[in-house]
Amino acid sequence: MKRALYAFLSFISLAFCLVFPVRHFLGGFSAERYKTGLIFASLAWFIFASLWASTPKDKPKR
Amino acid sequence: MRPRFADLADRLDGLYEFDREPVAEAKLQPWTKFAGMFAGEHVAATEFVIGAFFVLHGVTVRDLLLGLVLGNLLAVLSWTFVCAPIAVRTRLTLYWYVRKIAGPGIMVVYNAANAVLYCILAGAMIAVSATAVGLAFFIPTPRLTDVFPTSVAWVLIVFVLGTLFTLLAILGFEKLSRFAQISSPWIFAVFIAGAVASFPKLGVSPDLSNLALVARTKIWDGIAAVGQEKFGFWHILFFAWFCNLAMHIGLSDMAVFRFAKRWTYGFLSAFGMFPGHLLAWLASGVMVAAIGRELNPGLMAFGAAGYAGVGALLVAGWTTANPTLYRAGLALQSITPNWPRWKTTLAAGAATTVLACFPVVFMKLLDYVALYGLVLMPVGAIVFAEHWIFPRLGLETYRAEKRGWVVNPAVLAVWAGTLIVVFLLPLHLYFKWLPGYALALVSYTGLAALDRRKPAGERR
Repeated sequence: MKRALYAFLSFISLAFCLVFPVRHFLGGFSAERYKTGLIFASLAWFIFASLWASTPKDKPKR
Repeated sequence: MRPRFADLADRLDGLYEFDREPVAEAKLQPWTKFAGMFAGEHVAATEFVIGAFFVLHGVTVRDLLLGLVLGNLLAVLSWTFVCAPIAVRTRLTLYWYVRKIAGPGIMVVYNAANAVLYCILAGAMIAVSATAVGLAFFIPTPRLTDVFPTSVAWVLIVFVLGTLFTLLAILGFEKLSRFAQISSPWIFAVFIAGAVASFPKLGVSPDLSNLALVARTKIWDGIAAVGQEKFGFWHILFFAWFCNLAMHIGLSDMAVFRFAKRWTYGFLSAFGMFPGHLLAWLASGVMVAAIGRELNPGLMAFGAAGYAGVGALLVAGWTTANPTLYRAGLALQSITPNWPRWKTTLAAGAATTVLACFPVVFMKLLDYVALYGLVLMPVGAIVFAEHWIFPRLGLETYRAEKRGWVVNPAVLAVWAGTLIVVFLLPLHLYFKWLPGYALALVSYTGLAALDRRKPAGERR
């Protein structure tokens, strides 16, 4: 369960790495705001992806 | 001389002992592993430079897109129809297969050549990363035409980064490999983010209505930078095809595909080619255009994606230089007097750091990539001939193994002869490998046929 949650949060973080530049391109974010957002999304990716990779898979119940 | 050579070969065998036997059925890997591995391996720091160079070489949008799609397709087909079938049939690494064909002495030469080539490649990655660090300290990046180190500060940055990368390669290769797997999707995302965020600087309107016009007039406008050769469709097609020549046509990825359940897993290389060698190259082209066509990977990454971009450049350089340094160390281990792995990696790292100080290693990266594939390509042709052509012509296979040769003279003659001929060929560097491959294939088969005609007593 934890593993699935970390995987989900990792994908969300990665998606945000792409959402910020798209918002900047569309005029929604300034360059500074986009770059700051990208840093936070990147940090989130590394945290959740590391947790995802280090959490063992659940063993199937008998 | 002969005992010394045989001794080197014995030590080399010891290094590769663990994968001497064909891969067992139970060790075969699912297709997802191959897709993930290819996707992760082909988004490196050098992608920042390659895509940017296409802009500086004055490629047009049409030539670039067509060349990249077809060139990458040819690369995928080369993995699928040349490399994977041999790997799946033999379940051996190139090392052990060439050893049977060419003899252990050739493997010593092959490994030494590989070590030098790996060091130069890792040097380019360190130099690219150094441009990112240099930015923070206001140290000017070398110019396109620079060959030698441009300042003491540049040498210092390269030295610090080279030392750091080497120490990390020695201390934690396995851990860093896992870190690299985590990093690769993010690095790819930063490439795309950087390109999209650069659109406003280039005047692309939010509805993308003028994207084609901007691409044609402001990015890939067909005008080469001063001192740069003009590239067209064929240059791009051949570059995309031979960019990993040593791996597919040169067969070094037999080490990977011997774990594949089917040869069709070769198609999975598309997961590396199309995101890494198409989208990432296009993205770096957009980024370099957005900073006024200055080949400065650090500035490109910072301008397009801020500190995350600089981080991506550093991580991309670090994670790709790491296995390259490790492989160089492994290749060097055979030709040193029983040095442990840490010592050979340190030696490879020291040589790489010195090379990285010379801007020419990344300013001439495209030519270097071509040379890298060219030097190792004849070995791939020889293995291909021996595996597919010899049995059909009734020629004897694995002569080095059967006759106990340290060096198969035909392999040595074809390898050296092919390289001499291709370097003399009046063709562009990018186009030399294809006739060279055909020459190696025909001449090696011809020499084996001549050997068959000799009476048994005359054969060595």
